[in-house]
Amino acid sequence: MHIVVCMKQVPRDNSVKINADLTINADGIEQIMNLFDEYAVEEALQWNEKLGGKVTVLSIGPEDWKEQIRRALAMGATDSLLLSDPAFTNLDTFGAARVAAAAIKKLGDVDLVLGGRNSTDDETGAFAPALARLLGWTQLTYVGKIVSLESGKIVAERHLEEVIETVEASLPAVVTVVKGINEPRYPSLLRIRKVAKVEIPTWSAADLGLSAADLTPALKLVNRVPPPPRPKGEMIEGKDAAEKVKKLVDKLMEAQVI
Amino acid sequence: MDFTANYDMFLTEEHQILRRTVREFAEKEVAPFIREWDRSGAAMEGPETRPHIRPILKRMGELGLLGICLPTRLGGAGMDYLALAVVCEELERVDSFLRVVMSVHTGLNSLTLFQWGTEEQQRKYLIPQAKGEKIAAYCLTEPNSGTDAGAMLATARRDGDYYILNGEKTWISLADIADNFLVFAKTDPSKGNRGISCFIVERTMPGFSSQPIHGKLGVRAGNTGSVILEDVRVPVANRLGEEGEGFKIAMTALDNGRYTVAAGATGLIQASLEASIRYAKERQTFGVPIAEHQLVKRMISHMVRKLDTSRLLVYRAGWMKNQGRRNTRETTLAKWHATVSSFEAADDAIQIHGAYGYSDEYPVERYLRNARGAIIYEGTRELQELLQADFALGFRENKPLRRELPAYDPDEWA
Repeated sequence: MHIVVCMKQVPRDNSVKINADLTINADGIEQIMNLFDEYAVEEALQWNEKLGGKVTVLSIGPEDWKEQIRRALAMGATDSLLLSDPAFTNLDTFGAARVAAAAIKKLGDVDLVLGGRNSTDDETGAFAPALARLLGWTQLTYVGKIVSLESGKIVAERHLEEVIETVEASLPAVVTVVKGINEPRYPSLLRIRKVAKVEIPTWSAADLGLSAADLTPALKLVNRVPPPPRPKGEMIEGKDAAEKVKKLVDKLMEAQVI
Repeated sequence: MDFTANYDMFLTEEHQILRRTVREFAEKEVAPFIREWDRSGAAMEGPETRPHIRPILKRMGELGLLGICLPTRLGGAGMDYLALAVVCEELERVDSFLRVVMSVHTGLNSLTLFQWGTEEQQRKYLIPQAKGEKIAAYCLTEPNSGTDAGAMLATARRDGDYYILNGEKTWISLADIADNFLVFAKTDPSKGNRGISCFIVERTMPGFSSQPIHGKLGVRAGNTGSVILEDVRVPVANRLGEEGEGFKIAMTALDNGRYTVAAGATGLIQASLEASIRYAKERQTFGVPIAEHQLVKRMISHMVRKLDTSRLLVYRAGWMKNQGRRNTRETTLAKWHATVSSFEAADDAIQIHGAYGYSDEYPVERYLRNARGAIIYEGTRELQELLQADFALGFRENKPLRRELPAYDPDEWA
């Protein structure tokens, strides 16, 4: 079985700053593997250990993203692929899905694509569904457990807010996983040394046969303003706590909150 | 900001992945519990029964940390001596007791077997230690001899194919936990330093016992104790090096132990700095975050200076070890500077935290207590000062050794 994991490098989210124009400023911020993608890598490795075959870690980004790819290789991924081109700099989610879809088609023998439910920077959660659409494959989102995986078929639990759905689909398919599906392993120190010298194959837009039109964002940012400030609160006056509580309850009832 | 960035002249991508891995381990598996573990050491009486120590050592072994800078043919991870520093930094960034394990198990014991051990000794003792299957410690200090190691009273009397060891060793890290010990004892009590020999002693040998030390100021999460040797029969095959070579072996062991202490202290400075930056930005006085006050800024800036200078000194020593160069001067300088700096940084971190820093609600008081020991152990501050002066004055030089610590060889170690 050939499993491809789509992995994104993101800034560690607890330390990013916001620029004056409200864009994210990640300068000097440590770059890490997207949390949810780490679960996807682990899930791929566990199934690969059972079924054999290949696990290819695929990422779209500049050369310096290789550190996270090497991290996934040190965890146990067998293959890697970096999709890198100056033309990929300003991709929107759909454009990124186009790039990944072209690469997966070019790989040819892929049975399953795994990814995190969303990235912790953009948080669209739309990449994998768009990828499935472009490939014409079934999508299984929010998967909290892969029950079985065999040639041609996957059974998985989708962990939704109120229910757990067990679904079956034929392969190939695109699956996004949620936190808690497994406990990601640490990279193996022995593998860290081995993968440090591994040449990571890199494909450009030309390698993928993508034109400028394919990469033009479907969405244009027109304006960006902060949300309106929250209205000010109201202090309730009164001679003692009992009176204040009574006034508060009256107001809440008036507003039909209670 | 990333204080570990821009050390590319020393570190590679391998070291970065290693750093991230060790940091995750320490933050996930130790940090959430460390306050309780540290408190458990303050309240402890009687024998060492605390349940957290062995599982954490086991995890460190599984991850490959305990044999980080040993060739794979000897059960290690095949990484270099700089990797050892990265591991120590990241472990002590969370708590000193983790780094102490690297100091005694890897630095003082395993690397000494790597430098001085016979093939047979390496096969029997070093390989299981590198894999983390056996835990190792180092016994030099006695109740009446620390810096003055030549004054030790422990004896090793030859009896056929055995030596009979008697004596008491104290302030031994992992005394109640370790399986294997390097023990220094006098084979010729009439001589000072030249009468000392080194032995590999197993806990299971009859006559061996240990007991923990209670009431330590710091490193309370870890085990420290005394080792008592009563007519312990040690095979001649377990003598490390020649008879009378023990003092030299002990000193070369310290070149590696002190290196781990210096690297760990660097991690402790970083922890103090990071805690201080966080707190200075959130705590407000006089209507502004205290980070805006100049005297707070001064403390932050001094921590940064101490962090970077310590790290550079440590990496220089590590680079020399990789090259196979003797590094006693450079390692002791790093150890002196980094440990003294780590205590000062933790002290300033408490000052920045104000009264909150004085309780264990915040980690900085633990950093201060943990930092203090390293100014005493593995060579006091005063000894390091004398060594630096003697090197500078030409009163001291590195004489060639019968066995040197092997240089790092990326191909042969892989």
